[in-house]
Formats: sequence, C-alpha cells, structure tokens
Amino acid sequence: MLGNLLKRNAAMSVFSRGLATGVAPEAQKLKTFKIYRWNPDKPAEKPKLQDFQVDLNKCGPMVLDALLKIKDEQDSTLTLRRSCREGICGSCAMNIGGRNTLACLCKIDPDTSKQTKIYPLPHMYVIKDLVPDLTQFYKQYKSVQPYLQRTSVPEDGKENLQSIADRKKLDGLYECILCACCSTSCPSYWWNQEQYLGPAVLMQAYRWLIDSRDQASKVRKEMLQNSMSLYRCHTIMNCTRTCPKGLNPGLAIAEIKKSLATD
Amino acid sequence: MIRNCLNLGIRNSLSFARTGQPLASSIAIRSLSLKPNFSKLKLTPPPPGGVVGGVNDKLETPEIDFFHGSYHWDYERITAISLIPLTLVPMYGALSSGTLYPMVDATLCSVLLIHAQLGLTSCIVDYIPKRKFGVWHSLAMASLYAGTAVGLYGVYELETSNNGLIDLIGKLWKDEEADLPIFSRY
Repeated sequence: MLGNLLKRNAAMSVFSRGLATGVAPEAQKLKTFKIYRWNPDKPAEKPKLQDFQVDLNKCGPMVLDALLKIKDEQDSTLTLRRSCREGICGSCAMNIGGRNTLACLCKIDPDTSKQTKIYPLPHMYVIKDLVPDLTQFYKQYKSVQPYLQRTSVPEDGKENLQSIADRKKLDGLYECILCACCSTSCPSYWWNQEQYLGPAVLMQAYRWLIDSRDQASKVRKEMLQNSMSLYRCHTIMNCTRTCPKGLNPGLAIAEIKKSLATD
Repeated sequence: MIRNCLNLGIRNSLSFARTGQPLASSIAIRSLSLKPNFSKLKLTPPPPGGVVGGVNDKLETPEIDFFHGSYHWDYERITAISLIPLTLVPMYGALSSGTLYPMVDATLCSVLLIHAQLGLTSCIVDYIPKRKFGVWHSLAMASLYAGTAVGLYGVYELETSNNGLIDLIGKLWKDEEADLPIFSRY
C-alpha cells in the first residue's frame, strides 16, 4: 500500500516536473520572402516583388506553409492555387528560388540571411499573383487523347488484362500530376507553346503509346509526325531536372522519337 | 503585289458600279494604285495565352508531315553519325601519308552541307516560326536553300578545279608562299 502510494507520488512528480519545465520563448527567426504580385484589377500597374517577413519558428517547414501564413496573417489578397498540400494535386506549381517546383514539396531554406523569391510559372500568362493561365496546357493535354482506345472488347466482357511486365512500363509515367513545372521550364516551350506540346503532355502521349491495352498507337504516332508537336524538343533536359515528382519526361520524349524513327 | 492592288482597284470600281453610281465616277475611281501592300510583312502577335479557339477544345493537330517529322530527325542523325568516319578517314590520310581521297572528300563536303542545312532548318523553325513571322519565315527558308545551293556549287568548284576541302584546311598549316616578298615579312 505504502509502496504503491510512493510509486504513484514518484510518477506524479515526474509528470508534473515534465509539465513545469518552462520553455524559454524562442527568438524570432525572420525570413524574407519576395513574392511576385500583379493585380488584374489594376492592369496598368507594373508587376512587382513584395517583401513579406515570416517567423520560421512559427511556421511549417514548406514554402506553401509560409505562403498560407502570409495569406492568413499579413495580406489576404495574395493569390495562389493550392489544394492537397502533399504533392498529389499539382496545384501549387510555381517558381521558387529560380526553380519550378511545387510549393508544398519545397522546403524553406533555413538560412534567414537569404531571401526567397517566388514567381509564377515562367513564360505563362498570369491571371493574378502566382496563378498562371494553364488553358493552353490543358488544350494540349486534350489533343493527345489521354484515354484508352480499343477496337475490340475483351472476350470475357470484363477487364482489359495486362501482364506484370507490361504494367511495369507505365511506372515513372503514370505518376505525373500535370503540374506544368516541366513544360514551363522548357525554352522550346517558351518560344513555341502555341504548337509544341511540351514535355508533360508528350510524356502522357508516350504513356498511352506504350500501354499494352491501347490499340490506337498508329494514330497516336501520326499525330506527332510534324515539325512542331514533338520535334521542337532538343533534349535540353530542363524538364527532368525540375520535375518535383522525380520523373523523367526527357527520357519519355527520347523513347517517342526512337519509336517514330523507324516508322 | 502590283497585280493584287490592280485587282483590288477593279473590284472596288465594280462594286461601285453595282451600287448604281454614274459610270463617269466609276471610271474616275478606277485608277492604278502603286502603293504597295505592306501588311504581309507584319508579324502576327501570339494570341493571349497562346490559346486559339475555344478554351475547352483540344489543340488543333497539325497536318501529318513525315518529311518534317521523323524523316528530318532521321536524316539529322544519319548525317551526324556518317560525318564521324568521313572526318576521321581523311584526317588519318592527311596525317599519316598525305594521301587525299577525292571521293571521300566530295562525300564529306556534301554530307556536311546537308547536315548544316538540316540543322539550320531546325533553328529557323524554332526561332522564325511561320505561325508568327509569316513571309519572313519563307524568306529565311529561301535564303537557307539559296545558301545551300551556293555551297553545293562551291563544293563542285572545290572538288573539280581545286584540291578538295581537306587540302584547303591543310593549307592553314602550310605556308606555301613563304618566300614571296610581302611587305610584312622583311
């Protein structure tokens, strides 16, 4: 009985001591973010970089956390796309510190002596602040017919089966979230985005080309047989370098060229 | 261009006549304008966001064109790869025995010319696209073809009345006129 009481006391004292240990108020760790601002309501005003200071000790680790903290606490007019905050939706693609990436997957550089510059995706029309116009990008995606096309249905009337080896060919392609980081980092896409499809869309074109269940590969290949759609790729490889998901659109485009070469 | 303007003038006067104006005035209107039509020379600015047509439509797929598609790519690679032995063989010949092979030299010159033509075509399509530059694209392509034609004539001259490209390059290292009294050499 006494032993039990002692034990309980000891446990309580440890517990309460844990609570009583005061945390010294942490010093502020202010980091400056320079963020591209442009307001379509005042189109005559030039785009500018606006400085925001964020205390990194009271902020999440990613750039998206800082942006949302700025939007919540400092300037609610700051406009950006975001949705899943974990690199699945591809909404928060922007140019952070000179590199196209997803704000939710990009860690804040803890060095507070350096500023972080945040721009919208390069060479795109800006709708507002960090929101680019991706209409053309989606039109291009639509043009490669990103869906299964078959002339015959499976005999058992159930599923289009695929071997494990064939399924493996889609790895590294199907993970693309169409965030447009790669396309907008490609100089060829900057110069000719009205006609050149760009790495993201071409990688999806390849994803449907090599799908063993798809039977429209002849038409899919012929769609790319012109000077603009595919062959504006000059293996600059910015796409692969910038991909926030670690995919390799440059390789996919090279594979398309290889399969077209013998057509 | 002048014919176009003339046509335009006649069409104007015809439409004038149809509206029931007196003949005399329509004759007075019919005049030959020598003002050239410069509107063709203007560049076409890209549409906002590059979007042509409806925002929910798919991008228009260009016409199938194998020559500017995979064939162009194939020829670029074929010429690039065949240039490797075509440069190494004469180089070996020139360095080891001083032998020059006219056929190899002629092939080297031609393939080099084709390779340059293909590469420059790519540059023009990249930076002077027809979509934006219109006639200037055609002009660039025409001058490229003209340049290649002149180059081809040069190759012919080089191979028939001269000693070929390899010899021409080799002369950079030889000073055949060392004993000529040129004023800089006293």
